Amino acid sequence: MIRLRSLVVAAMVAAFCVTDVGAYLKLGTNLGTRLVTLKFNSFPIRYFVTNRDVPGVTAQQAQQAIDRAFATWAGVPNVSLSSQFAGFTAATPSTGDGINVLGFLNRADLDRVLGSTSFTVDTTTGEILESDIFFNSTFAWSVASGGEPGRQDFESIALHEIGHLLGLGHSMIGETELIGGGRRVLSAEAVMFPIAFAAGTLNRAPRADDIAGISDIYGNDTFRRATGSITGRVTKNGTGVLGAHIIAFNPATGKLIAGFSLSNDGTFVVAGLEPGPHVVRVEPLDDGDINSFLDPANVDINFKPAFYNKLVTVPRGSTAASIELKVVPK
Amino acid sequence: MKAAIALLVLLAMPALASAQPYIGSNGPQKGNVEFSGAAAWTGGYDAGDAAALETRNTTTGSGPLTLFNVSGDVRSAPGVEARIGFFLTPRLSAEALFQYTRPVLHANLSDDFEGATGSDADETVSSFLFGGSMLYHFGSGRFMPFVLGGAAALRQVHEDSSEMVSGLEIHGGGGVKWWFNSSGRGFGLRADALLSSRSESVGFEEKRRVVPTVAGGVTYVF
Repeated sequence: MIRLRSLVVAAMVAAFCVTDVGAYLKLGTNLGTRLVTLKFNSFPIRYFVTNRDVPGVTAQQAQQAIDRAFATWAGVPNVSLSSQFAGFTAATPSTGDGINVLGFLNRADLDRVLGSTSFTVDTTTGEILESDIFFNSTFAWSVASGGEPGRQDFESIALHEIGHLLGLGHSMIGETELIGGGRRVLSAEAVMFPIAFAAGTLNRAPRADDIAGISDIYGNDTFRRATGSITGRVTKNGTGVLGAHIIAFNPATGKLIAGFSLSNDGTFVVAGLEPGPHVVRVEPLDDGDINSFLDPANVDINFKPAFYNKLVTVPRGSTAASIELKVVPK
Repeated sequence: MKAAIALLVLLAMPALASAQPYIGSNGPQKGNVEFSGAAAWTGGYDAGDAAALETRNTTTGSGPLTLFNVSGDVRSAPGVEARIGFFLTPRLSAEALFQYTRPVLHANLSDDFEGATGSDADETVSSFLFGGSMLYHFGSGRFMPFVLGGAAALRQVHEDSSEMVSGLEIHGGGGVKWWFNSSGRGFGLRADALLSSRSESVGFEEKRRVVPTVAGGVTYVF
């Protein structure tokens, strides 16, 4: 069965709809009781670029930036994926035409959405059959090597959206503040954080969390042998907490990698961790709009951030003993 | 003539004294075997500091945003130690060494951006040393000071994990043995104080560390 699922997962400044954010950092679809990760199975991923210029960025410049963004993901060590530019097209980025199209589209109605990725997936296998990305031409864009004040860096946003195209969901490693009825990002340590920096080129390179995520989907055996994971439950008053954000910090490397508790019993997995002792910290999903990550219906954000009182040593190629992160209400 | 003889005797006496065995028939002899068992204590050390940093949105400030800070230390730990020695000469012995301790790797967590509860995290490490030392003894009778130096393989296994740290250890120091009887053999007490330099050891940064080690226990020479 092939079913269309439209995912609006984007670099943006406020909330919008999201469906089926599956497991840690990854997009997924339910197959019976099983969660199937969305991913491309055939390579290279052939993509077209809409032949449309916008002020500050020509279609050709956009294509070059998109090409660099694809190459950045493909360049992650021990990841097996590739892409190929198939040509310019008059087609707009819309699902259902059987080709992957990336390009500018005027979506003035989405005044807080910089870009968006949509999919056609085979829900029996999780294979991505088609994916399209639009970059909202109502915003000011730049491809300058150092970025331009007041303009969004096209390559940074392309890297984020192509992360979605490859199957990554949003990361929540970042801090925000509510300001003027919106949410402003103070910091982020993941390209896949759902809210974009105002400008600059800082997000042209994936961080540890992004690398763990893409490696979890497309990583080879070398990656799996070299890394391990932390698993456990988040509980409050003895009951599982859904939607908690769990950060694993490796003091030896400075890397931050995170995951979510994705079931009612509070079970979580943080994968793609380098071996060694980690500090584990849990926090509510309150630095972004919940529906940027999960179905908000049962997400519990009424608890205080907390550290786990043990260092958790990640074993190489395996999983550390399960832990229980006990949190208390705010 | 008498004066000349007396001078010869005086000159000869030191030579005769130095030619004597240093503890004679009392004390360990070449070929003796010594077993020692002791309670040990290894000193703590700074395990390194780290900060969980996030890239700052440049429109909201400069420099990275610190999510929280980590300050690590490995705490001093008790343990046990066993040695088997073989006397190559009455003064010199070679020993095989085994030491087991349980140090705690501790992280102090501070300055959390969102005020997370909890300020400490730790784990207990199983630390093993397998190696050897050379000992040189001084003195005679019941009281025998010694100096020693040696090397060992260090294995430190993390709690609840198969992950381990492996390194090379070299040590040097000294100690005393005190025999219960005047023969200088049989049972005695032994105390060691060493500096142990380790190429790798548990912590948040890889570097050579020097830790003090003391041990005290009983010894027996066959």
